[in-house]
Amino acid sequence: MRRAVAAAAFVAGLGAAAGPAPAQATHLLVVSGLGGDPAYADAFYRDGAALVDAAHGRLGLADSSVVFLAEDPARDPKRIRARSTTENVARAIDDLARRSRPGDRVLVVLIGHGSDDGEPRLNLPGPDLSAGALAHLLERLDGRQVAVVNTTSASGAFVAALARPGRIVITATRGAGERNETVFGRYFVQALSADGADTDKDGRISLLEAFEYARREVARAYRQERELQTEHAQLDGDGDGVATMAPDSSAPDRLAAAAFVLTGSPTLAAAAADPALRTLLERRRELQQKIAALEARKPTMDAAAYEAALDPLLLELARTDAAIRGGGARAP
Amino acid sequence: MRAGARAGLTLALLLGVAAAAAGQAPAAAAGARTQARALAEAGRYEEAERIARAAASPELLVTLGEVLLARGQRAPADSAFRLALAGHPSDRLVAELDRGKLQRARGARDSARASFRRVLDQAAGARDARSLVAVGDAARFLGQDDPPLFKDALRQYDRAAAADPLDPLPRVRAGDLFLEKYNGEDAQQSFREALELNPRQPDALVGLARVLEFDGRPGAADAARRALATNPHSVPAHLLLARLALEGEDFAAAEREVTDALAVDPASLDALAVLGATRYLGGDPPGLEAAWRRAAALDPRDAEFFTTAAQLGVQGRRFGGAVELARRALALDTSNATALGILGINLLRDGDIAGGRAALERAFRRDPYNVWYKNTLDLLDALKGYRETRTADFQIVISPGESELLAPYAGELAEEAYEKLAARYGYRPPAPVRLEIYPRHSDFSVRTVGLVGLGALGVTFGRVVAMDSPASRERGDFNWGSTLWHEVAHVFHLGMTDARVPRWFTEGLAVYEERRARPGWGFAPTPDFLLALKQGRLPPPSRLNDAIVRPSYPEEVVHAYYEASLVVEQIEHEHGFKAILDLLSAYKAGSSTGQAFQRVLGLDPAAFDRAFDGWLRQRFAPALSDRYAAEVDAAAKLAAQGRTADAASALERAIALFPEYAGPDNAYARLAELHEKGGQPALAAHDLGRLVAHAETAYDERLHLADLQERLGDAAGAAATLEGALYVWPYDPALHTRLATLYAGLAQWPKAVRERRALVALAPVDRAEALYQLALALYQSGDAAGARREVLHALEAAPGFEKAQSLLLRIQDAPRGASR
Repeated sequence: MRRAVAAAAFVAGLGAAAGPAPAQATHLLVVSGLGGDPAYADAFYRDGAALVDAAHGRLGLADSSVVFLAEDPARDPKRIRARSTTENVARAIDDLARRSRPGDRVLVVLIGHGSDDGEPRLNLPGPDLSAGALAHLLERLDGRQVAVVNTTSASGAFVAALARPGRIVITATRGAGERNETVFGRYFVQALSADGADTDKDGRISLLEAFEYARREVARAYRQERELQTEHAQLDGDGDGVATMAPDSSAPDRLAAAAFVLTGSPTLAAAAADPALRTLLERRRELQQKIAALEARKPTMDAAAYEAALDPLLLELARTDAAIRGGGARAP
Repeated sequence: MRAGARAGLTLALLLGVAAAAAGQAPAAAAGARTQARALAEAGRYEEAERIARAAASPELLVTLGEVLLARGQRAPADSAFRLALAGHPSDRLVAELDRGKLQRARGARDSARASFRRVLDQAAGARDARSLVAVGDAARFLGQDDPPLFKDALRQYDRAAAADPLDPLPRVRAGDLFLEKYNGEDAQQSFREALELNPRQPDALVGLARVLEFDGRPGAADAARRALATNPHSVPAHLLLARLALEGEDFAAAEREVTDALAVDPASLDALAVLGATRYLGGDPPGLEAAWRRAAALDPRDAEFFTTAAQLGVQGRRFGGAVELARRALALDTSNATALGILGINLLRDGDIAGGRAALERAFRRDPYNVWYKNTLDLLDALKGYRETRTADFQIVISPGESELLAPYAGELAEEAYEKLAARYGYRPPAPVRLEIYPRHSDFSVRTVGLVGLGALGVTFGRVVAMDSPASRERGDFNWGSTLWHEVAHVFHLGMTDARVPRWFTEGLAVYEERRARPGWGFAPTPDFLLALKQGRLPPPSRLNDAIVRPSYPEEVVHAYYEASLVVEQIEHEHGFKAILDLLSAYKAGSSTGQAFQRVLGLDPAAFDRAFDGWLRQRFAPALSDRYAAEVDAAAKLAAQGRTADAASALERAIALFPEYAGPDNAYARLAELHEKGGQPALAAHDLGRLVAHAETAYDERLHLADLQERLGDAAGAAATLEGALYVWPYDPALHTRLATLYAGLAQWPKAVRERRALVALAPVDRAEALYQLALALYQSGDAAGARREVLHALEAAPGFEKAQSLLLRIQDAPRGASR
């Protein structure tokens, strides 16, 4: 029984072949800016707090790995570490640089009002945080996998300012011209805090899944309200400074964001001691590769032939996964 | 030169012109010509003719010919034009043009074309406005074979307007050309400019009237009558009034107008064509043939005779007949663009997409500036990607983005409507009925009238129905289920009467059938309607067609639809449903409304109007008391004082006065609020139930009612309520999830599966989960094969999806035939 539970915990975090290295940790910095009026202040706080709760809960991040800077720390001293001034942002990044190790994942989420009058910026208490200043601060995180998600209006130009190899940048808007209030942040937070974003059902949420979820929900929300969509989120996954709004399956932007998983990374160690389990996992990996290869060939295949080839693979994968969940005791 | 002079003298003698060669001095002749033209414009043809003859100048011969032609005196008119051409007057281009027009009217098309070409050949010499207009007219006529010339025509009209900024004629001609190409906006601008120069110019007034008719706006008849006030003999004005009368299905009035027109000009091919259409629409096919024989005696190749009848027939919903008439036109003139267009458009309306497209492409090649053809061909390109779904009696065509979601609901509802109406009317329209649903209103509008901007939600062309999808409007703007039912009802009534049912009666029947289909569907009386009733502004039943076709105030169409449904309701109530069937039979046999009502109901129109008015006032007597608002206000004050029971009583009194009212500040909603706040959810649910039974577009109220019903344990009631919400707005995934859960709880598996399919169709972010839930519902419904197919789709999206894997293994490992 115990063994079965351990195996199930392992499988839940699987993704096996593409999973993060065991030693990787994930860190989250949430910066919630000036509200301007109470309604916005409430909304920004709510999004930030929900994200922090999701980090502690669903994503399984350690308390020490989560930092929330907001306009009014007195509002929620338990969650909010400090006021979201530029100075405190710099301190938090310094702190992250000290506590994290090379290879760790660092996710920075910016919430609030953005502006861009030639220099894109996030409106913070005191001096604003410009994209250039943030780029400078992020240099302190060299060696880490850094992703920045700017959910604010007029955030598009952050892509060019922050782009560099190995860094992922997501913005709620595609350019400086989209200046209206955005809803992208609400759905990005929802992706990490509620069901629905884990589209490959591997038990983890990647940055790509969260981006896709938020992007589609934003479109649906505007459609539902029958309003002209005034925000178009974009993703630069490969750090080339060129963002895409709907990266296709083979786009480098997509692959990098898919590899940036936000849940904790379970160890493969549990499998090491059990030869039967190791065999099953190896078979699983082979099946996954075959399925991926088949899916890549789908556009050139006859539909019936594709299904005839896919069905037995999926069935065998189901049996294999069932056996893994059973702790390897029952071979498929 | 000499021979010409001799010929001129001979013709002058024939005309009775004393001395063509030695007439008035040029200045005096120009003055006389202006005077004669002015008299002709006012319809004072005899005086105009006297002046023209007395002038004895070649400068007056063209005007003389035009005056003669206006009264159908073709031979002398031709002589006048020929004599004018021999005399080289300053308006010789006009003479050449007029001669060409006359030749064309006689069917001598080659000669006419030669005349028009001669006008164009001399265009460089045209300086004055009338000559430039003549060049423009010639280009316009030749444009039928060489479409780029249409642009030249417009340029010439512009030049003419610049040459004489005070002459309205160039603007009138430009307006005519714009309207011919379905460009109502520019046509109206041109006619308005002309009327700024001369507010009583009859041709400009007729042009404006045609634009108003084209746009379906009020005022067309007024404008035509103003034209007749200036020129009581204006044939175009009489013919326009005849057309308007035909539109209103008043065949007797149409006949009067066209008779007046023919009295002025017995040789008017336009008038003979309208006469033919009047007879055709009035159920007198031999009358059509007789009119054609008269027209053919003047021009045996007059294809316009049949295109006119076809176009007017379309207004009377004779789409199949229009196809036949267009074919007769094409038999006379194989390349007639108008006939090809009518053929194409009406084949499309009959569901023959390939045949319609082929004809329309030919029409467009000959008339590439026709926006109707262009728009429709563009739409047909888009339609290629639409998906077709077949049910027993329907071919449902929906855009790829919506087909998967809407087709199941549309098919289910259309079949229900078909079966229920077939049982009621004892008639089964030929299947399949083609049902097209458009996500963009502009596409629906183009499908219907070739242009954007149509105000309707749906339209029925016999066996083809086109309508807006709910996506084309704001949520709560309309109920697409009742719209679909309405249009299917039209299919029955048009089919049963060979499209002879009057517009007002079929609309009344369709609205009435909506109300019979579901509580709350169909139009409801509004305070506006009651006010109109009180003020005597509602049209009597005998005028309902006019009110629908040419409303005199903006809300009149809506009022007329509802009133027409009440007429039907009253007939069924007072005379039984058989009377409705008998009326439809009478219409099919060609009876007018007056004849049909007399025969079936034993009442002439005036008597029926009186009887209906009495019935209507009695039916709405409580609501007309004006006490509704007072009771609702009193309830608000009582509620504020904490006198909840008294407030509830006041609201019930309001409801008793006007139970159909479910608009803003309705008593049902207030009562539900009171009851809910008072902890009486069952009463609140009852109140909201009554509200939605009178409000087909109430979406939020339906969701709220379903909440209450679920809280009260009434899952079946909640499902039925939410089912109603689907016909308001089917795009909310939460609504489908709720319904799927409710139906699963009620073991209504087919509906649970339908809802799960809808969720997949809504393209959820979490597609794997949606597919898994669909597979589960299929499995629970006993469809293991379907469940297997869908769970594999879920696993294709997410190969490691544990729940889906488990279901797959359950299906795979279950004994054959086992399920759930």
